[in-house]
Amino acid sequence: MPWKDHYTTSDEIGIRDADIQWPNGVQMALGVTVNLNPASTGKGITAKDLAYPTWHFALNEGLDHFLTLFADLGICATFATPALVADAYPDVIDRVLAGGHEIAAQALIGEDPAIHTDGGEGAAIERATEILTAATGARPKGWYALSHPDDRAATGCATDATIGLLRDQGYAYFGNGLADDAPYYWVSDADRSEGLLTLPYYYHFDDTFFLMFPREGTGLERPAALLRNWRAEVAAQYRRGRYMNLCVSPARSGWGHRFENLAAMLRDTMALPGVWAATGAEIADHWAKAHPIEQTLRLTPSIWQDYPDSLS
Amino acid sequence: MTQADTIAPSPEAYQHLIDTARFQRSRRIPIPDFAYPEGVKIAVNFTLDFDAMLLRRLLNEPWGQKAKGEFGGRVGVWRIMDMFDAEDVKVTLFTPGRICELYPDVLRHVVANGHELADHMWEHEVYGDPVVEDAHLGRTLAALSDIAGKPVTGTRSSHTPALLRDKGVVYNSFTSASYMPFYELDSAGENPILQLPFHYALDDAMYFSFGWLDTPNNAQRVMDVDEVFDIWWAAFEQQYKIGGYVNFLLHPFVSGHAMRVDMIQRLIQRMKTLPGVWFPTCDTLAQHILSTHPMTPSAE
Repeated sequence: MPWKDHYTTSDEIGIRDADIQWPNGVQMALGVTVNLNPASTGKGITAKDLAYPTWHFALNEGLDHFLTLFADLGICATFATPALVADAYPDVIDRVLAGGHEIAAQALIGEDPAIHTDGGEGAAIERATEILTAATGARPKGWYALSHPDDRAATGCATDATIGLLRDQGYAYFGNGLADDAPYYWVSDADRSEGLLTLPYYYHFDDTFFLMFPREGTGLERPAALLRNWRAEVAAQYRRGRYMNLCVSPARSGWGHRFENLAAMLRDTMALPGVWAATGAEIADHWAKAHPIEQTLRLTPSIWQDYPDSLS
Repeated sequence: MTQADTIAPSPEAYQHLIDTARFQRSRRIPIPDFAYPEGVKIAVNFTLDFDAMLLRRLLNEPWGQKAKGEFGGRVGVWRIMDMFDAEDVKVTLFTPGRICELYPDVLRHVVANGHELADHMWEHEVYGDPVVEDAHLGRTLAALSDIAGKPVTGTRSSHTPALLRDKGVVYNSFTSASYMPFYELDSAGENPILQLPFHYALDDAMYFSFGWLDTPNNAQRVMDVDEVFDIWWAAFEQQYKIGGYVNFLLHPFVSGHAMRVDMIQRLIQRMKTLPGVWFPTCDTLAQHILSTHPMTPSAE
């Protein structure tokens, strides 16, 4: 499709189901994102967030449940982790890595990148990357900017500069894109046909919006709706041979009956033949080879005409 | 309650409200002895507001929101149209002129498969300046007609009825004042135009699109497909029993998601188990009504 400055993030050509290639002939890729960000707002983690009882639960029993389940089912998950969390809880990071999972970045203190001004976003990415590298022993490959409960959009966060900065700092993928439900390239420079591989995210599969949303104690609690969404999407994407991402927090989905929903859905999904439950880095690595940007991104010149009576 | 709230209106202001109430009621004119073609018990219009990212851009929303809308043009519209074609259901795409300019490939594809293009404003907004409104509507109709290969007859908008009629638009689908199609007069009691009513209870965005119409976070529904299937089936079934009409308002960036395409296909397949269910485009239905139940001076 013709490129549109300030309107679009991609070439707007979605890959057809039949053209998707997964490794070893698997039918569908499953991406499980674990949100390890306790921040309730885009300002990032506060001392109050760190004192919250459900965050304590997340780091202990919630995490235990997740890691045990993933090990039982052979699921390699991606833990989207603020640098502060990695720095503060090395034991958690050790347990996650020991389980074969990926630690991906989720900002310095889980903040919305838009809070950084005057070029501060690049420095914040650099600092977060350094801390995560030191905490995990390897440079993170993926960057997530997931929704906070108080965000006015359920999409996660990116500024005009975010994708270009991540690409320049060597990131292999961005973890929450909404323009497709298969991996795609988020354009960082249309003139140069540059972009960053982006993995799909959709808030209808994110427990943030279903389990005490937006606030514990008064928020909407709808575990059955979340479970039905997960199941309906797995059925549809499995048939299409595409991709399914769900996003869960040990503070929310690690708890009791909610955890049983997650476990039941994942057990049923993993019982289907040919489901590849891989980390974001593994999926991105495969996609970049099977569908490289040079062959996949098909930007066509803008045909945009400005009119004096219209939005530019 | 403040003191100002307790002040009664002047006699003139009160009479103005009475006059307004009576006039507004008279603007919507039902069609007597409404009848579908032989053998049809209910018409079901599936309509798609193909906004893609345009409204998100118009509202200057952040990149994630624009990407959410972008899904509609990149994936959703292709996927949902494949399903409608598989079910042999003809639909109407209410398309902003800007989107028509920017997504010619998919629009040519849907026209070739027998679907209808109709106006949905130039950039998803009707502005107050009549010169701008005229230019926007003219530009949109020209762009859509060029792709459709024939004049565009419908709109989903608050465009001025006289302007619509002047440019050959014969129906609007922008109200829920009745179950059944009806004629609506403008604010001067003139320029009747056929309305094919939709209802917000049949609008996918109400159920699935976070933050729709600037709703606050603690008022989000974010419902699942099974809940909405039940609501929509109940709405259809109630109208089917009385030989009525339903008009579903879908957005490709919402209903083009895989689980929702499956849900709508399930809905269509269940509708098809009943006799007399007709899936026309809005234009096909409008032409039937205009030819068999024209607006007459007596009705007016």
